[in-house]
Amino acid sequence: MTAVAVRYQDLQTLGAEILAISVDSPYTHKVWQEGELAKMVPGGLPYPMLSDPGGRIGQLYGVYDEEAGVDIRGRFLIDPDGIIQALEILAPAIGRNVAEMIRQVKACQHVRDTGEATPAGWEPGKIALKPGSELSGKVCEIWSPEMAF
Amino acid sequence: MPMEARVGKPAPEFETSAYVKGEIKKIKLSAYKGQWVMLYFYPGDFTFV
Repeated sequence: MTAVAVRYQDLQTLGAEILAISVDSPYTHKVWQEGELAKMVPGGLPYPMLSDPGGRIGQLYGVYDEEAGVDIRGRFLIDPDGIIQALEILAPAIGRNVAEMIRQVKACQHVRDTGEATPAGWEPGKIALKPGSELSGKVCEIWSPEMAF
Repeated sequence: MPMEARVGKPAPEFETSAYVKGEIKKIKLSAYKGQWVMLYFYPGDFTFV
């Protein structure tokens, strides 16, 4: 939660909005913000904290755990047309990698803007590939697995 | 459990209440059309991960 807040400016610069969501009520979100999060992030979380009573929205996204009564750690990257471009679901005890979330936003935007495909480990400035029949069997001429790191 | 959310498919629409910088507001996913959205679910307030 707070790790995302630290990189919020980067996501804003990319034109991405963050929506956090749990089964807690908006009043519980308020108490948590004011009591704890504001001590870790000056001013509290800068993005909306949504309430999902009964996990109704979590069910739509396939992340509601009925036994525990909570939404598990699902993350969905939605493009400007409202289409899901990436998703990741982690067990409750495993925290997310915010830097990887940001890299995926950049990769999705590159693909959308250029029509290119981003190979493994792509970062801005690294080579992307133009999909097409002339590339088949020839990726090895311009890209190697070491370039993923 | 129906898994409606898939890569390449429209994100399921919803509207719900939210806490936003000191205020409680209604938020609708479709209001963010034209922008990238990172929607992230988490297990609950007062957890530490």
